[in-house]
Amino acid sequence: MARFLAVSNRKGGVGKSTTAVMLAHAAAAWGNQRVLVMDLDTQCNASLMLVGGEAFAKARRAGLTIADYIYDRFDNVADDESGYVLNGVGDVAHAMTRQGRVSLLPGSQKLEDIQGELFLKQSKKDIDADAVAVQVRGRMRRMMKHFGMDFDLVVLDCPPGLSFAALAALDLADLVLVPFRPDFVSQFALDQVAQLVERVETHDDLQDIPLGERRYVCLANTLKGAGEERMLLDQLALDHPLLKTRMPLLDSIARAFDWDERKKSMEQKYQDAIPFMRALHDEVFAVPHMKPELEPAA
Amino acid sequence: MTRKTKALSGASQDAYFRRVLKTYPDLPEDARERIVRQLRSEIAQLRIRTTARESALAAHEDAQREPAAVAKEPAPAAGPALEAFTASAPSAPIELPRAAPFDPFAINVIVVLRTEGKDAALEALNAVADADNLRLLAREQRLSVDEDLVTPEALSAAIVAAAERRIANRRAAAG
Repeated sequence: MARFLAVSNRKGGVGKSTTAVMLAHAAAAWGNQRVLVMDLDTQCNASLMLVGGEAFAKARRAGLTIADYIYDRFDNVADDESGYVLNGVGDVAHAMTRQGRVSLLPGSQKLEDIQGELFLKQSKKDIDADAVAVQVRGRMRRMMKHFGMDFDLVVLDCPPGLSFAALAALDLADLVLVPFRPDFVSQFALDQVAQLVERVETHDDLQDIPLGERRYVCLANTLKGAGEERMLLDQLALDHPLLKTRMPLLDSIARAFDWDERKKSMEQKYQDAIPFMRALHDEVFAVPHMKPELEPAA
Repeated sequence: MTRKTKALSGASQDAYFRRVLKTYPDLPEDARERIVRQLRSEIAQLRIRTTARESALAAHEDAQREPAAVAKEPAPAAGPALEAFTASAPSAPIELPRAAPFDPFAINVIVVLRTEGKDAALEALNAVADADNLRLLAREQRLSVDEDLVTPEALSAAIVAAAERRIANRRAAAG
């Protein structure tokens, strides 16, 4: 069964999709893992990064997206859901190793609409709104988990909001990676996502859970090296587990957002970001419940 | 020698102005503050040379010409404060202070307050004797203090109170 890694933050523009795709490439290329990226964000950035605009449009037209999968199979999950998955995606040749590969369950702008529709559909069976919400969320969680049989790692690229899909992903995840930019409002966003992941109501309840036992870790992203960033990171480290790896603001990472039809090496795609990606990969997959079962590639 | 420059704006720019003006011992403190306020209103960003040799040269050159020329964007007109600046400028070459500039993040007030308590935070701040540096620390750490406060003791207490409010605000937001 795969391990599930959710990349989430309620705040937008913090690098969730970029981090999700970088980790998918790294896990396939360096960890020899079969990786599925599940694009739960209706912006569909991870999909565009992995297959480009034309292939993404083709998947949408063919009804092969996360929204189609959930809508089609909501009442009856079949054994074989592989038809919805695009295999061998991404523009990194090194991510196609003997065993490792990156696959994609494409995102869809319809995902929010169909969640509302499914909620209404379920409401006809049960009048209690909370109970219906729990049902929809639980059902989506099981549907996501269904993909675990065919992969070593499922990366759940979450949307900024709190849709049923996002909540289901947070429920399912073995580890939630929370990228953030160290600015003033980030601390509020981290507090919120932490309470969601740990299922606690207050800041005090959260403090009762030791940092080493949390189900999430935070990744400081797009750092410029300013003194104010250092100050905020020290403050956040009092309340949240922060990865030692910190991602700087690099042009190479910004450029990696662009999908290229020509396959290239990891070094060609990520350039001077490679050492930081290595560190991130090694640190994330050293977390006990994220350690791969396979031996990493030589 | 490699020429390196550093951009300054906001509070760090103010601190730079104060450091330079303090090298003019005849300039009264209130005049210095007036000049800083005027420069702040007229100059959006400074770009200074960071090597010591060039800093000394720059200081010498600055002493030979109008101070507004240091700025990236020239000041539109020299007001009374700038006139006071040029009138009191010494003709001999000057050297910038050699001490390392004050790091406004060296004391992380919120971290000290939360991990060591209020007394420790006050003690750490009381070690900063210069009121200008305390004001700089407050601005850079986004801890709002009353602009009328003058003494280091009053500023330190206000900074700690602002940090307490910041912590309470965050806890309230988290529920």
